[in-house]
Amino acid sequence: MTLRRSTVFISFTALGLAALFVIAADAGLRGRGAAQALAQKRWLVKSLALTDLALFTDARYTRHPAMADLHSPFQDYPISLEHFPSGSLMPPPPHVRTHGRR
Amino acid sequence: MGGVEKQRCIIDFTLSSLLRRKGKNGALLVVYTLVVFLLASVMLFTQAIRKEAAAVLADAPELVVQRIVAGRHDLIPLDYMGKIGAIRGVRAVSGRLWGYYYDPLFGANYTLVVPEEQAGGLGEIAVGQGVARSSMASEGNIMPFHTHDGRLVSLTVARVLPASTELVSSDLILLTAEDFRMLFGVPAGVATDLVVAVANPAEVPTIAAKIARLLPDTRPIARSEILRTYDAAFSWRSGILLAILAGALLAFLIFAWDKATGLSAEERREIGILKAVGWETGDVLAMKFWEGSVISLSAFLAGVVLAYLHVFVAAAPLFEPVLKGWSVLYPRFRLTPSLDFAQLAVLFFLVVVPYAVATIVPAWRAATVDPDAVMRG
Amino acid sequence: MIELLDVHKTFNQGKPNEYVALRGITLAIASCQATVLKGPSGSGKTTLLSILGGMARPSAGRIILSGREITSLPERFLTDIRRRTFGFIFQQFNLIRGISVLENVMLPAYPCGESHSLLRGRALALLELFGLAGRAATRVEWLSGGEMQRVAIARALINDPAVIVADEPTAHLDTKLSGEFLEFMARLKGEGKTIIMASHDPLVCEAGVVERVVEMRDGRVVAGGGAP
Repeated sequence: MTLRRSTVFISFTALGLAALFVIAADAGLRGRGAAQALAQKRWLVKSLALTDLALFTDARYTRHPAMADLHSPFQDYPISLEHFPSGSLMPPPPHVRTHGRR
Repeated sequence: MGGVEKQRCIIDFTLSSLLRRKGKNGALLVVYTLVVFLLASVMLFTQAIRKEAAAVLADAPELVVQRIVAGRHDLIPLDYMGKIGAIRGVRAVSGRLWGYYYDPLFGANYTLVVPEEQAGGLGEIAVGQGVARSSMASEGNIMPFHTHDGRLVSLTVARVLPASTELVSSDLILLTAEDFRMLFGVPAGVATDLVVAVANPAEVPTIAAKIARLLPDTRPIARSEILRTYDAAFSWRSGILLAILAGALLAFLIFAWDKATGLSAEERREIGILKAVGWETGDVLAMKFWEGSVISLSAFLAGVVLAYLHVFVAAAPLFEPVLKGWSVLYPRFRLTPSLDFAQLAVLFFLVVVPYAVATIVPAWRAATVDPDAVMRG
Repeated sequence: MIELLDVHKTFNQGKPNEYVALRGITLAIASCQATVLKGPSGSGKTTLLSILGGMARPSAGRIILSGREITSLPERFLTDIRRRTFGFIFQQFNLIRGISVLENVMLPAYPCGESHSLLRGRALALLELFGLAGRAATRVEWLSGGEMQRVAIARALINDPAVIVADEPTAHLDTKLSGEFLEFMARLKGEGKTIIMASHDPLVCEAGVVERVVEMRDGRVVAGGGAP
């Protein structure tokens, strides 16, 4: 007897759900495994008094968005997007946007 | 068991029916999976980076005090430390020395930081992995720097910072305070900004307000604001990526809508036949439900699993060009995986449910025709 | 035994395109017999066929199936009764294109929730009976006309109904295939099935298997009505 089509579909769905559980387990496991690396990062942040992630190095206000001062990053308009792709990924920090409105 | 067997039989038929248009439905499945994959990748990536930022920056300075001169961040006199230190509730104040250095040789921007506790000796630097990569420097090498007054000085790479810290240290160069002041010509009495330690974290806003009143040319930045910055940075509103995805999603919606709602004359005839041979309205709708679900559920499961592999196993290679922007220096980091089931549920309701519904609804009218319609044909 | 009492059917009632198909049909059809509804096109025989087969509801009048009134049953029950009592053979065969012969035959039984392996066995046995065993996996559009007809008959028999209903079964068949069809009907009648056909083909009306011809015109029975 040939395989029923519904059997194929149900098996595929079961496999997908199983994969979902496997990645959930993997996430949990690797999350625990990353504890040491996290501790190292936290230590570095603490000892160097760092304030930002080193994600974007192309402009001052994307390298240190938390330190961005009130005017220089957004010369034209405080919440304008500009021509760096990272600048459009990273909107102006809330303390800049809300400044003056509080 | 009759009910289960019945649904399985209906699924059998649905699959046979879908397999008749292998090319079209196959293409639909692939595009659908791709859309889920992209959406899930963005979701997993931004979620993980937000979580990581919150965890890593939990020990960021409680309060940073900047000085603003003519609307620009300026060097802060060290004698401000005394005034701030006198405020009740302030545990400690220290000056931070940091700045940017543009390396014309490699076209890269570095962040130069002076550690509070002296690590290396005079003329020695520690560099982040990103700096080591882009300038091909390793321990014992010499890196040339242009000073503010035009001289060329060489500093020795004494240490490369561990790769595990790259998310925060990729572009860092650690050096002594003396070398920093010599390089940039920063006079002895000033710092880049001040870091304030507070005895009771609940008092941070009060102390910040006092500092702002006491020293009107300064701007205090609290740790909560730093964390808020990163929480907002990768929210769903985060710009261009979402715009692109929205476009893709819209195109897909049109495609799916056309596919799902356009009940062809052939399909209408088939529904008539099913009714005539003894299927109830409910059976026809169940068939249509499976027709939508088979595609959308398969696409969802495959898309989410692929997205997880993409983001956490392969370190999101597809996002790299976008995230890199124009920077020469890009950190290599592996995000700590996290899977948020609430977010997956949102994605599920966003991509699976509408498609299944869009398949059923147009069939509704066709499914309620009288069984004898075929005979009257 | 199927009884119809003063059955009327009006399509698009109250609209400008209102059309009266049946005007008071009273008829009793005996079990284990072959009955033909004869009449020109537009005489209402197809409508009558679909009403007595439980596919459509009459606008007025009652239908009694083996002593049970089925006119006012809700859809679910009516469909269930129809599925188990009647096997339909349509004028154009109405097979679903693109899927296999076997699946087409099994289709009417899917909503019954019967075990798949039993159902499959039954369908294969039917195909064997009609000489189609080798064609089970073939797509229906690749069959010859005669084969399609046999698939349609096999499909009508999958739920082992007591009544076979056929609408203009020979309309698209040549004389040889029509003869073959009537032979199949004779065989089924021999097995105790009731046969009801609508046709104006003399080949059908004058066939040996047919016991009774009910003539219709303009939605009324004009000859052969009343009790069998």
